[in-house]
Amino acid sequence: MIFKHFWSLRKARVLGMNRRNAQYIMQYNPRSAYPLVDDKLLTKQLALKHGIPTPPLYHVISYHGDIAGFERALVDRQEFVLKPARGGGGSGIVLITDRRDGKFVTQSGKVISKDDIHYHISDILSGIYSLEGLEDKAVIEGLIHPDQAFGKVTYEGVPDVRIIVYLGVPAMAMVRLPTRQSDGKANLHRGAVGVGIDMGRGKTLDGVRRSGSITHHPDTGELLRDIEVPFWEKMLLMAAQSTDITGLGYLGVDLVIDKNDGPLLLELNARPGLQIQVANRKGLVERLEMIDRASKEIFNSPEKRVTWATQNFAEPSS
Amino acid sequence: MKRPALWLAVFLFLISLSLIGYRVFRLGYPLFPTSPVKAWGLTMEIFFEPVGRNGKEIEIRAGLPESRPGQTVIEQRNVSGSLQFNILPEGLNQIGVWSGNPEEGRVISYRATALLNPKRLGKPKPPGPESFPAIIADKSEQIVAKRLVERWRSLNPPEKLKAIAATAKGIWRKPMPDDNDLKQWSEIQRKYGTEGALELLLRVADLPIRKVQGLVLVESVATKPDRWIAVWTGQRWKPMQAETGDLYPESVRLLPLMVGDTPLVSISGAKLQGIRWGLSKQTLSKWRAHYERIQRSTRFLDRWSLFALPKEFQENFHILLLVPIGVLMISVLRNIVGFPTFGIFMPVLMALAFRSTGLGYGLGIFAGVVSIGYMLRRGIDWLRILLVPRLSILITFVILAFTVSALIGSKLGIREFMAVGLLPFVILSMTIERFFIITEESGAFQALRTAAGSAAVAAITYKIIKIDPLQLTFFVYPELLFAIMGLLLLLGNYSGYRLSEILRFKILGETS
Repeated sequence: MIFKHFWSLRKARVLGMNRRNAQYIMQYNPRSAYPLVDDKLLTKQLALKHGIPTPPLYHVISYHGDIAGFERALVDRQEFVLKPARGGGGSGIVLITDRRDGKFVTQSGKVISKDDIHYHISDILSGIYSLEGLEDKAVIEGLIHPDQAFGKVTYEGVPDVRIIVYLGVPAMAMVRLPTRQSDGKANLHRGAVGVGIDMGRGKTLDGVRRSGSITHHPDTGELLRDIEVPFWEKMLLMAAQSTDITGLGYLGVDLVIDKNDGPLLLELNARPGLQIQVANRKGLVERLEMIDRASKEIFNSPEKRVTWATQNFAEPSS
Repeated sequence: MKRPALWLAVFLFLISLSLIGYRVFRLGYPLFPTSPVKAWGLTMEIFFEPVGRNGKEIEIRAGLPESRPGQTVIEQRNVSGSLQFNILPEGLNQIGVWSGNPEEGRVISYRATALLNPKRLGKPKPPGPESFPAIIADKSEQIVAKRLVERWRSLNPPEKLKAIAATAKGIWRKPMPDDNDLKQWSEIQRKYGTEGALELLLRVADLPIRKVQGLVLVESVATKPDRWIAVWTGQRWKPMQAETGDLYPESVRLLPLMVGDTPLVSISGAKLQGIRWGLSKQTLSKWRAHYERIQRSTRFLDRWSLFALPKEFQENFHILLLVPIGVLMISVLRNIVGFPTFGIFMPVLMALAFRSTGLGYGLGIFAGVVSIGYMLRRGIDWLRILLVPRLSILITFVILAFTVSALIGSKLGIREFMAVGLLPFVILSMTIERFFIITEESGAFQALRTAAGSAAVAAITYKIIKIDPLQLTFFVYPELLFAIMGLLLLLGNYSGYRLSEILRFKILGETS
């Protein structure tokens, strides 16, 4: 009974948590490279050094004593993002879109006081959102104005694109669309919609929410399929480069598309989730094994790897 | 599966197995821990009255049970106050000797536990010279007796014994002796009593005998010992009641205390007031029986056993050895089943704590403390308290909740409420904070799901570590920890799907 289920997952070449950890993360992701991706500040610096664009950095708060000077550092910026440098799964992130009478307006329209913001920063510094509960830094960076490509299928917030990169080759991708339930955040476990992307043509496939299949956005009611992802090749290239700069063999690359600045690297993840398979209706194992078998030459440059991926992982045209 | 890990696991299993094998086959440890063993508890109290002036040396001698085939004495304890106690082997007997000046008290008391193991009867000790006591009857009486048993010469010893035993009731197996002999015999019977007459017949029939004083094993209190004559019938000793000549049926078990004519209890320097023997059935687990043996053993692994620790430290290890079972459970439930939990090892600590509160109360208190704690956390959120003091407040609250619970428990007389102190309070406080954060970030559903997962894992782990035989088995065979490590190694190499992934990737399984 249970084995029948296991067998059908196996037949669909689904990558399970245990196998992901043992065979890919432990084998291809050296511990020493983790700090580079666990700390968003380090990731940002690394990306800048290699010419990969990221959202602009406004300010970093490292000590409780600096919290009070936080407004001065903001100068007259009306909108910004406050996030913990070591946070995981989108926790602790606050998007501020406006400032009114010394108060802050969040993306969802909630007005929070100066004290509330200070309290939140203090929580971040105490490490409450950090992965290991270590002391943390608060990062303040530019707010993203999402490209209108996904405007019709986004409820507030900023959609982002997740690309799984294995040995420098982009293997699978999806776009994550915020919903009312996910509170404008692009995290699948909060109820955001995941939509698979055809690696070859850069067009969206069907969607998934929680564990159920969907074809239309739950809040806007728009069709999810066949949306053309802008800057597709460029994003694949940025993803492929991420492996080179971090040395992580199995990597989740999160990108956002800004209306003005184009694709920006948001963060890297050394333990990317497996839900992307559900969004693409496809197991990862097959593609990972294809990459294992690929000829040595394709690994010469990120451009070659991207070309190889778009050729080999394209959905069969229907 | 990676080869080296597999070999290492096999190696660990082998270590574990060979040490257990050594204990089982060489040291005779029981393989199955729980089968209860019949044991008899014997108490003996001897009441005496000192004679003459105070401070006079007295000595009391009494026959005690000893280990023999089919019977093991595992525990002997002297509970008399001021007298010195020694056990001296004397021939076939173990004699307990109490001596000294009884400063106070007019009673000595002794306890023993004897195990009966009918399966391991072994070979009984064949008769020695003491089994052929001198005949006290005179020549002519002996001739009469000889004539009486002569006619049964062709019978085998057990049958011969039956024929002789029947004479005590006046029944004579055919061929009948002549009337003259019968008349003379009844005179002999009158002279020596039933017991003496039977002894005479047995002796002239050349059957080895032992005269035994002891107790019939039934739950009882006796003031007089039972007496029987054990007759060697070639393979074994058959007991025959001395006063009536009744042969004890197979089912009756006897506890011999003294072989021979020596009085069972003798006393000098004081006057014997009375003796009381009490017998009671006890059911021991095999481990306890072995524990007694192991403690006295000089074998290497017996001495390097946790039984060698003082009792109060043994308790710790009973619990400590459960932790590896608990973490093994966690590994299985998380990596093969895929339960979501707060923290990795929190459920193990919960499970250990449930041992003192019980599952129902434990889960209830856990749910109560977490939900009240959650409300408190919600309530103090607007106060903007820094992380560390905030967690400290939660810990203080948890302790306060424990205190209140214990006080309510003592008012209502519910022990389980009073045992809350053993719940892992730091873990509970962290759980409250985690619960709050998950509720805030991922919604109440996710938080409740994780809480339910933690509770389920804790409950399952608790059910497993509560299996007493398992606990005892680990205590007796701590080398099983190697096997646990082996299992964990194998588990750590499991790269298959988790049960929860069947649901998670359901769509993918269907489309294929």
